[in-house]
Amino acid sequence: MPLETFNGGTPLTMGVELELQLVSFSDYDLTASSPDLLHLLARKPFPGNVTPEITESMIEINSDVHTKHSELLAQLHEVRDTLVTAGEQLNIGIAGGGTHPFQKWVDRRIFEKPRFQQVSQLYGYLAKQFTVFGQHVHIGCANGDDALFLLHSLSRYLPHFIALSASSPFVQGGDTLFNSARLNSVFAFPMSGRAPFLLSWDEFAHSYFAKMEHTGVIKSMKDFYWDIRPKPEYGTIELRVCDTPLTVERAAALACYLQALCAYLLERKEQPPAEDDYLVYNYNRFQACRFGLDGTVVHPKTYESLSLREDILTTLRKMDPYAERLGGTAALNHLMQVTHMGSDAQYLRDQFATSGSVEGMVDAAVRRFRGRM
Amino acid sequence: MPDFLVISAELAWPLAVLLAWLAGEFIHRWTRLPRISVYGAVGFLCAQAFPDLFATDGASPVSLLANVAFGLILFELGYRINLHWLRINPWVPVSALVETFATFAVVYLIAHLWGLPSMTSLLLASLAMSTSPAGVLRVINESRSSGQVTERVQHLVAINCVLAVLVFKVIVGFWVFQTSGSLTQAISHSLIELVASALLGAIFGMIVPAVLRHLGTLARDGTVAFALVVIILVAITHAADLSPVLATLAFGLTARHRRVAFTRTVRNFGAIGELMTVLLFVFAVSTLSWNNVLFGGGLALVLLLARFVVKTASVAAFAHVGGIPWRKGVLTGIALSPMSVFVVLLLEQTKNAGIVLVDELAAVAAMTLFMEVIGPIFTQRALIMARETAQE
Repeated sequence: MPLETFNGGTPLTMGVELELQLVSFSDYDLTASSPDLLHLLARKPFPGNVTPEITESMIEINSDVHTKHSELLAQLHEVRDTLVTAGEQLNIGIAGGGTHPFQKWVDRRIFEKPRFQQVSQLYGYLAKQFTVFGQHVHIGCANGDDALFLLHSLSRYLPHFIALSASSPFVQGGDTLFNSARLNSVFAFPMSGRAPFLLSWDEFAHSYFAKMEHTGVIKSMKDFYWDIRPKPEYGTIELRVCDTPLTVERAAALACYLQALCAYLLERKEQPPAEDDYLVYNYNRFQACRFGLDGTVVHPKTYESLSLREDILTTLRKMDPYAERLGGTAALNHLMQVTHMGSDAQYLRDQFATSGSVEGMVDAAVRRFRGRM
Repeated sequence: MPDFLVISAELAWPLAVLLAWLAGEFIHRWTRLPRISVYGAVGFLCAQAFPDLFATDGASPVSLLANVAFGLILFELGYRINLHWLRINPWVPVSALVETFATFAVVYLIAHLWGLPSMTSLLLASLAMSTSPAGVLRVINESRSSGQVTERVQHLVAINCVLAVLVFKVIVGFWVFQTSGSLTQAISHSLIELVASALLGAIFGMIVPAVLRHLGTLARDGTVAFALVVIILVAITHAADLSPVLATLAFGLTARHRRVAFTRTVRNFGAIGELMTVLLFVFAVSTLSWNNVLFGGGLALVLLLARFVVKTASVAAFAHVGGIPWRKGVLTGIALSPMSVFVVLLLEQTKNAGIVLVDELAAVAAMTLFMEVIGPIFTQRALIMARETAQE
């Protein structure tokens, strides 16, 4: 089946998807409770959209399409409150965070849905190891060419989003020394990483996609687990490198940062993207995952080494006028705070030190998601 | 030449435990039946074949070990209870109260109509209120289940165990008063015992986490410390004629709410916990005699059926308002089937106080045997039908 037409929409609109953890209040481990929670949530209208994810210990929520930070944040608050109330009725804690710090992948159950069962059949244990939690941000694009232009132009800013959202320092009970260990799980999939360097939608659809489909390796865009991928049916590009933050406030702020960056890039004042930009792509990505805001990245055009924290601060300042125009100033101020106070990964490590246990860390994440601390 | 019979007596328990474990492993692999059902069946057969070798009294080391094993399970259960949830979703405690007291009423009525004396009927009814935490928790851990049936059944078990102990002790208090005429003795066998046991557990539940925090080795030493304190609690309650059930449950509950982690990787308290469980289940039925089982069998079957129907219907009735589908409500009720180990240890403890009820309550012997073997199978099937068990 050929790739569908790119449904160009209103540029710079945004939507957020958050994968969330379902935690048992009995032992703070993940609980296979998504069927129970979805049953309860189906009883009354939900302020957004909620769907199952690959294992039964996860759910995904989607916001509607928004243009302003305040509207997006208001909806995310409403979604969060509805989820927390339903969760409490079932003794389930809802939490952000890119990984659960001590769950064992072997204990996970695949959700009873044909697509998830097929993925599980194909990828074996990788499917259960995919019990990691990300935030996806969609930005509306006028056409496919703009989408591919933005996709490749953003590759230089990808480490910003990894470091600012990092919230997965622990995996399988131990400190990984990474700030975002989640992306290492995603990297295990053969169709992950960067998209091919093509800037024309026609070429992407008729040459690359058609060939890939002919190989039998992929059937739809869903089979690509790229860091940023085009979403022709929505008319958007989708950024997929963020860990789910511990709060919806940070999730909204990250979306607005991406929106402002896209507005800036679409003015085409920067040098156009090039294949060579990807020479340092994996290295920069690794630095952001491993060291978070303390990482050092290499500028893809000048090969200059930059402190990631400084680079983020400089970019945030540069984005101020765009954010102001789009109503996202508060979002950028929030991220400015993060560069000073530290990321969620830092917060989780502090909680581990204070409580003395990984269970205490999960308890803190659950309370932080509720916005009550 | 060593005395063959003496060696046999010393070897009887370890051999029975080994045999039960082996049988449990083989039969579980062939049939997927819960291991603990097999332990119970093997224990009963051994005790019937060699009654002299397996005779125990309340002060025997085996009985104490069984109590410790049960204490560890109750601590783990208490640790999983979230009191905050019971406030937020009042339909969970309401369904527990209804299923527990409806069971009491129905079982009392049937036993009374069957012609048993009032006091015997009351005792039977109070025992039938309970669900065995050992049976339920072991099946949950064995099948690595999670979901609403799992979650609710744990909370219901804790509530109806506490209620069963309270009601049972009050009735025993009356019994003591009727037979001895001493009000002081009656109260000391009921109210004081209950309050002191719960208080003892709660105090330890505050002290242990505080000490662990001070040591700063929560994650590493938590489990060992908890296990040691459970052993001490059981020993104290044993010596002071208090209730180990309430004390260990209160200990787990308080420790949890002091936000101290009981590391999940040592669920069941690891290999030693597993070993103790085999002993516990072999021990529980070794105290029963075939004659009592036969004598009380008819009534036991009627009572068990009534208990099963009442518990299932009561829990299911509150399923929808409590936030789960009707089907899961029914399955939660079915999962409450096990009752044996709890009953045996409660009766054993009462025996320590000089009151022998097992012979009075022949039906209990039969109920215990049936439910030790069949109860866990019901729980396991309910969890499988609810799709809450791990995929193999």
